[in-house]
Amino acid sequence: MTAAGVPDRNGKAAEYLQLLRLLAGEMERAMRAIAHNALPDLEESVESQQRMSARLVALAGELSAPLESGPIAASPAASPNKIDDDMMQQVRVAGDALQALNRRYAALLEHSSRSVALMTSLFNSFQGKFKEASGPRLKHQTWSCQM
Amino acid sequence: MGGLNAALLIGVSGLGAAQGALDATSNNIANVNTPGYTREEAQLAENGQSESGGQITGGGVMLEGLKSIRDELLNMQIQRQTSMQSAADTESASLQQAQSYFTLTGTDIGSALSSLSSSLAELSGNSTSSSAQQGVLAAGQNLATAFNTTASGLTSVQTAANQQIPNTVSQINALSAQIAQLNGQLAQMPAGQDGGTVQDQLDQAVQKLAGLTNISVTQTNNGETITTGSGTPLVEGDQSYNLQTSTGTGGQLEVLDSNGNNVTASITGGTLGGALNIANTVIPGLMTQLNTLASQFATAFNAAQAGGTDSNGNAGAAFFTGTANLSTAAADMSAGLTSASQIAISSSGASGGNGNVANLSAALTTALPSGASAAGGYASIVFNVGTAASNASTQSTAIGDNLTQLTTQQGAVSAVNIDEETANLMRYQTAYEAASRIVSTVQVLNNATLNMGSGSSF
Repeated sequence: MTAAGVPDRNGKAAEYLQLLRLLAGEMERAMRAIAHNALPDLEESVESQQRMSARLVALAGELSAPLESGPIAASPAASPNKIDDDMMQQVRVAGDALQALNRRYAALLEHSSRSVALMTSLFNSFQGKFKEASGPRLKHQTWSCQM
Repeated sequence: MGGLNAALLIGVSGLGAAQGALDATSNNIANVNTPGYTREEAQLAENGQSESGGQITGGGVMLEGLKSIRDELLNMQIQRQTSMQSAADTESASLQQAQSYFTLTGTDIGSALSSLSSSLAELSGNSTSSSAQQGVLAAGQNLATAFNTTASGLTSVQTAANQQIPNTVSQINALSAQIAQLNGQLAQMPAGQDGGTVQDQLDQAVQKLAGLTNISVTQTNNGETITTGSGTPLVEGDQSYNLQTSTGTGGQLEVLDSNGNNVTASITGGTLGGALNIANTVIPGLMTQLNTLASQFATAFNAAQAGGTDSNGNAGAAFFTGTANLSTAAADMSAGLTSASQIAISSSGASGGNGNVANLSAALTTALPSGASAAGGYASIVFNVGTAASNASTQSTAIGDNLTQLTTQQGAVSAVNIDEETANLMRYQTAYEAASRIVSTVQVLNNATLNMGSGSSF
């Protein structure tokens, strides 16, 4: 913390790291909700994800802002404007993990939402018997290829 | 990354489950206007938990199969009510036809009795008038004809019901065979496979069967076991048992089970129950009343005629004949006199007087052995027919209202609710769109995270 009580860059990075991990947890929760067709859980998880994402975007903006000019610290490593290497490494690892999970989440959403969109259009324009061309096996294969 | 792999596997199982739900939903929509269709739901079950590195994770979800949403108790009530309504409808239609022979048409028995009374009154005032004498003879002939017509009408109603009985038994046998076949199809289906369509066909066939006769349906491991009211099996698993008809010792039609046992008494519902009731109970009952009236009136009138002397000086011959056999009195009744001069007008033992006309008239108004006068006895028959027809019609209407209510309840349970399904789909769509925005945001965040490590601003 700075003297004025404003979180330093390390503190913000720590919050950023924690949010990355929480968001990963929420994505896993959302995927489980999709697997169980638990719509209320999915809706709740997406709300949490939205809040976390908004905060993460704000923090990323703050952390990417130019350094303020001020007294030079005795030790550059201990400067409140400098993110620790170890912290930076953890942020990168968490970011990569989140990104890997995001690809899976994206693929699951894409194929699940495609099913939902199909059903929705079915309701909107239904005039006769409908049979979906691609079965679960084909959909599974498509999804696996994308992975 | 164990958590991520677990999520991946969960996601895969979720896709299969979602596909099952999609199949069920699309099938529901496709059949939204199909009569008798029962909506289906995907039956999902949780996969077993797995342990990895001491951490227990869920195994996702699996699709067990599709299940038709039915309320068996409701179906049973509908079957019973359908059976009762069919019986009431059959009886109502027959009784309305029978009732037409008892309405005031001018040629009915009531009108003929009234005409005979009027003609006797005219003869009493002018006993030598040949036209008055002719009037009495004609009125008597008309009365006999009216009895003949009414008896013939009731017989035709009974004949129609008798023709309906073997036809209905044939339909019952055909439906039983169809149900047995569907039972067999259901039994051969692998566990988890959707039997909804076959089950719907089965339900519809059972519903039709309930309209033909009263049945009892029991669910067994081999499918549905269907019996008649007495417990005689019609269907057991994939085996059906035929009913048959035969003529009983009294000439009435009987229904026999596949072993030749008479099960007529236990068949009280459906078209068959209604037709049996009309043919074997209602019409014979009315016919007995009609025959009794014809016989007793003819006997009383003939007795009055016998007590007088006709215009030729002879003792009065029987005015009405053909009523000796009580079981065919109304049908066989005829005027025995061939000439108006044979009417026994005089009571003095010689022609010329009119003293016996009063006795003839009294035969119309005096109580017969049944306890009522001829007109009173006839009114009683009319009342019985009218009441029976009205009761059958009222019962049919009441059961119809009840059936409508039950069918509405069944619809709430089994029918596809497009609005509900649409609302859920819209929610799903919105949720997926919102989730997709998170995916885009995380993609941007990843770039920001990379910049954190390489940017000079850090």
